[in-house]
Amino acid sequence: MSDSSGDHAALEVVDLHKSFGEVEVIRGVSMSAHKGDVISILGASGSGKSTFLRCINLLEIPTAGDVYVAGEKIRMKNDNSGGYLPEDIHQVERLRARLGMVFQSFNLWSHMTVIENVIEAPIHVLKIAKAEAIEQAEALLKKVGIYDRKDYYPAQLSGGQQQRVAIARGLAMNPAVMLFDEPTSALDPELVGEVLKVMRDLAEEGRTMLVVTHEMGFARDVSSSVVFLHEGKIEEQGEPQQMFKNPNSDRFRQFLSRTMQ
Amino acid sequence: MDLIIEYQGQLLSGTWVTIKLALLSLMIAVLFGLGGAWAKLSKNIVAQKVAASYTAIVRGVPDLVLILLVFFGGQELANSIGTLTGLWDYAEISQFAAGVGTIGIVFGGYMTETFRGAILAIPKGQIEAGVACGMSRLVIFRRVIWPQMVVYALPGFSNNWLVQIKSTALVSVIGLQDVVYNGFVAGRSTRQLFTFMFAVLMIYLVLTAISDVGLRWLDKKYSKGIVRTDDG
Repeated sequence: MSDSSGDHAALEVVDLHKSFGEVEVIRGVSMSAHKGDVISILGASGSGKSTFLRCINLLEIPTAGDVYVAGEKIRMKNDNSGGYLPEDIHQVERLRARLGMVFQSFNLWSHMTVIENVIEAPIHVLKIAKAEAIEQAEALLKKVGIYDRKDYYPAQLSGGQQQRVAIARGLAMNPAVMLFDEPTSALDPELVGEVLKVMRDLAEEGRTMLVVTHEMGFARDVSSSVVFLHEGKIEEQGEPQQMFKNPNSDRFRQFLSRTMQ
Repeated sequence: MDLIIEYQGQLLSGTWVTIKLALLSLMIAVLFGLGGAWAKLSKNIVAQKVAASYTAIVRGVPDLVLILLVFFGGQELANSIGTLTGLWDYAEISQFAAGVGTIGIVFGGYMTETFRGAILAIPKGQIEAGVACGMSRLVIFRRVIWPQMVVYALPGFSNNWLVQIKSTALVSVIGLQDVVYNGFVAGRSTRQLFTFMFAVLMIYLVLTAISDVGLRWLDKKYSKGIVRTDDG
């Protein structure tokens, strides 16, 4: 049943599994994000945190489990060889459009200017009128502080600027949830701050966000909850101040001591 | 020079045949190249195998052999099928169709490799970004892959195209009256082969020079944003 009204979670993931061949990298993760939640997903490299995020919008097809976007379940089926597949690719495309994604390596379309990047999907996926898309894109570019570069090509921008454009591109779809896949990991240290500031602003205005990150400061100070993944499972989760002050699990304590030096 | 003017009708009609051959076979080559590149990059194993055999065969055999095979062999095959089934007595494969088809399919093999390389040159993340925005495969191809693929493919494409224009000369062996055939006939009958072959040479140079202008225009049109930061 699809029903986007009422009090559904913006995003709900139920018992998600993902294997690559024999190796199971996600071993049953459930999570839900309500409107306005900012969830930081932490974990050592290889803990499966990026894979988990990529399973939510089916950039990776999960091996088992369910994903609900604004209450609507992504319908999956088993094919005759036992594979797990989306039942209706059009439904997947429609729901992907409700999830904005920001990648580690920005992934802006290099043959389009900044503003063209931002209006592309609204025009060609959401089918909104060009004038309206431009107006909205200009507002978003002002919000992320890059309006003065709107006619530049991505190759002419710094990494931090490109990532802010990528965030505007995601926001232009007016998504139910924004997914961030290590948004600052590819940036030079001095450029991290400008991207984190934009993300902080989004959190403050009540955007629902899932953030895979190594930025402990962001996780502790900005997010409403923190999830710590270890070997494809949730090892610990909770309210950030509490978790950072008194970690329950040894693994999270070790992780903190290694990363907070 | 007077001789050339006297025979200009034949030379011009031959040139026109060469142009038609080249352009029509180019269209076929681009279609086969796109299909071949798609098949080689698809997850479908049958498609991959078919495309691999296709490029291996057409690139591994002289064009002349294929043209003769299609024209004469195809003729025999069509007649045998007609006799066997009783559906037709005599079928004739036109020289023009055999030439266009064969050259198109042969160069489709080269275009396959050119397009495949060009698609692989597009950063995978840009395609993923399209997927993540909810774009359909068609929209991703049209809006993300195609405009960038053209730029990456252009150098290889230009090369293939120049070789292809010149390969159309091979059709004169099956009696198609292209510029080479007509020039050669005129040269022999006037005993002025040098004059006529020189004229044919100039005609080819003009044709390739014109296509160079077209290719430059394409490059300019599509190369915006593709990293040339040093001069931009």
